[in-house]
Amino acid sequence: MANTETFYDVMRSQGITRRSFMKYCSLTASALGLGPAFVPQIAHAMETKPRTPVIWVHGLECTCCSESFIRSAHPLAKDVILSMISLDYDDTLMAAAGHAAEAAMMETIEKYKGQYILAVEGNPPLNEDGMFCISGGKPFVEKLKLAAKDAKAVISWGACASYGCVQAAKPNPTQATPVHKVITDKPIIKVPGCPPIAEVMTGVITYMLTFDRLPELDRQGRPAMFYGQRIHDKCYRRPHFDAGQFVEEWDDDGARKGYCLYKMGCKGPTTYNACSTIRWNEGVSFPIQSGHGCIGCSEDGFWDQGTFYDRVTDLTQFGVEANADQIGFAAAGVVGAGVAAHAAISALKSAQNKAQKTPTPTNEEA
Amino acid sequence: MSQRSLLVGPFNRVEGDLEIRLEVAEGRVTNAYANSPMFRGFEQMMLGKVPIDALTITPRICGICSISQSAAAAAALGAAAGKPPAPQGALVAAILHGIENICDHLTHFNLFFCADFARPAYAGRGWHSRATERFTAMEGSAVRASVDARAQILHIVGLLGGKWPHTLAIQPGGVTRAPTARDRIRMMSTLAAFRRYLETVLFGAAVEDFAHLGTADALRGWAHGDAGLFNEIAADLDLGAMGAGPGRYMSFGAYPLPEGRSFGPGLWENGVLSPIDTDTIREDLSHAWMLGEGAHPSQGQTVPDEDMRDPGYSWCKAPRLAGRTVETGAFARQVVGGHAGALALALAGSNVQARVIGRLLEIARTQMLLEKWVAALKPESRFMDDVAVPQEGEGEGLVEAARGALGHWIRIEAGKIAGYQIIAPTTWNFSPRDANGTPGPVEAALVGAAVGDSEDTPLSVQHIVRSFDPCMVCTVH
Repeated sequence: MANTETFYDVMRSQGITRRSFMKYCSLTASALGLGPAFVPQIAHAMETKPRTPVIWVHGLECTCCSESFIRSAHPLAKDVILSMISLDYDDTLMAAAGHAAEAAMMETIEKYKGQYILAVEGNPPLNEDGMFCISGGKPFVEKLKLAAKDAKAVISWGACASYGCVQAAKPNPTQATPVHKVITDKPIIKVPGCPPIAEVMTGVITYMLTFDRLPELDRQGRPAMFYGQRIHDKCYRRPHFDAGQFVEEWDDDGARKGYCLYKMGCKGPTTYNACSTIRWNEGVSFPIQSGHGCIGCSEDGFWDQGTFYDRVTDLTQFGVEANADQIGFAAAGVVGAGVAAHAAISALKSAQNKAQKTPTPTNEEA
Repeated sequence: MSQRSLLVGPFNRVEGDLEIRLEVAEGRVTNAYANSPMFRGFEQMMLGKVPIDALTITPRICGICSISQSAAAAAALGAAAGKPPAPQGALVAAILHGIENICDHLTHFNLFFCADFARPAYAGRGWHSRATERFTAMEGSAVRASVDARAQILHIVGLLGGKWPHTLAIQPGGVTRAPTARDRIRMMSTLAAFRRYLETVLFGAAVEDFAHLGTADALRGWAHGDAGLFNEIAADLDLGAMGAGPGRYMSFGAYPLPEGRSFGPGLWENGVLSPIDTDTIREDLSHAWMLGEGAHPSQGQTVPDEDMRDPGYSWCKAPRLAGRTVETGAFARQVVGGHAGALALALAGSNVQARVIGRLLEIARTQMLLEKWVAALKPESRFMDDVAVPQEGEGEGLVEAARGALGHWIRIEAGKIAGYQIIAPTTWNFSPRDANGTPGPVEAALVGAAVGDSEDTPLSVQHIVRSFDPCMVCTVH
């Protein structure tokens, strides 16, 4: 290896104390759904394994993923990006500019052949030979292929890289295309969301380092530890759903009382993400807590499913005691056939899991 | 002396993709051409959608100024409905928007702009070691402190808006979240902590002391905190003589509240403030890779020219106000809003240093506004009025993003979006040439910039470009 510096070395050189380091390890363990027993394992890995070089490239996107990462993250999680991982190349944050920046990327690829992780934010537009996103005089799709060729694995950050996101909305003027349709010969981890939660982003990287393998992925290629449950399953407003108490219009009495937002178009019942457990902006809140329904931004095609504010369905047909799976099926029928299939498969899968699941480090059943 | 042509880009530490072609003679830039090389086609996607979906889709144009886009979309829908939001809802929207703007200025200063002073090319300057310690990209102590401070103040956005970026709370009728008395106290303590950061780190003195500086010399001579370090560097590098803008400053006015806009709207030129007639806005397409005729945004279309024909050289349209270029941004907003110190600086001419000072001023003044607004929250009030978007209609939504004037124009026919045009601040500042051959503000500001013989990414060019804090993903959307 060209570089034997460990994550811990990098953290120490940035003045991060041992105490903060251990705190980070235990926070990460709990974020990953692992017990306290795993904390020393994580700490050991970070002390002994060479830091993983990361190349972070931007295609068609809005940089919200980077922003989520650096702005909203827990200070310790933020240090992951600012020092631990020591991003070797990042379009938005790095010091170099122009040709020097391009050279830095090539140098990293050469130096860490087969060792680095390629983090992709955004996606390539394929229309007209990729001319809608030109980086360094070449279509972004070329840069993406070049950087992916020698990568150990690819992380698709956010809904853009994972699914296409809003720029792929009909009529998809630029033919924005998710990463896995362009890069087909590398392991790809999708971390969808618009943007993904910062702690999810750092958790995924830490897992890969600690256990030296990709996290367990669901059928859509998302880490199961974070995308194994519906927002609805752990929503703090769920008791109101079960009790049939709903917000009927904005700022009504029910809204003041924190009733369920299902009738205001909330897509929580069909959306798999960790918002209702990990929450946002250092655990302060998440969209449902601000009185606005979930828009389902970690699901494929969320941008083209009809209006975000339509009631998913008329609830009376379920009765007040309907469970999430029933609602999930019916709601998905309205939200979109793709999601319906997913919901059905997931329901099946989770039933199987309950019967035969071997212990894995996820919180799927927590 | 040599004549040469330089292609500068991709630019880092700007939001999105940017490429600038420079013609250089005798060690100076003689012509500059700004290209926004990324196009996504949001305006085409909006067509046929249900109008309120603009609230969810348009913020995703940009992960840095998503609340600005959200506020503009809500304003355009509200204008189409012909009803204002609930007053307390407008207040919460102003708080959300103010925090995003203050965060953007902080990011620009610490992460994007000052990092250039840590470059080895400046080794040997009296301030270089201090600048390196404070501003080195991703590592400097000021960089870290600002990232922490930002994450803290964003708790307020979390509390009121659920999440940042891509907050969903702002609606035409107000906001979805009615803050409680407890929330208000929590926000006050968050703001108090942010004030401590500003007073110990950025300004090195009371926020009010900086906000009330009333002369150009006082602003340029401020010597405390990181603001003082910037002034010291700016004086040494003569940033006050670099990157002149058109001298016309436009602001739509920031934070629409029932009592008026907190920073007023208008067009300022040569000491004269006049109202803006948005009917005189035209987007010129002569040098953009766009098909069709130039038009007012209420009638405009977005049809990319897939052949990318000459003389087009950018995906960016060229907006003009009554046929002329204007500069927009925090400095423009402070000038138009009538801040005495900013006005004094404007009379001395627009430049790199003035733009940075404009942002610092606005950080201080916005902190004061935020404290006032949070104190004025009345938890028992209504935060959302019923504002029904009509089946047919038009609306213009004008707000001020961190980087300047942002407008959304919507046309609704048969309950669906029939036209949606957006002009972002950087569309004004980084526009290409128009049919008369008049360069955009940044293209003009770059003329005369010094280029060393061995430089292929000239430092002066980087300072000038970054002084506008471009947001390229908003520019072409």
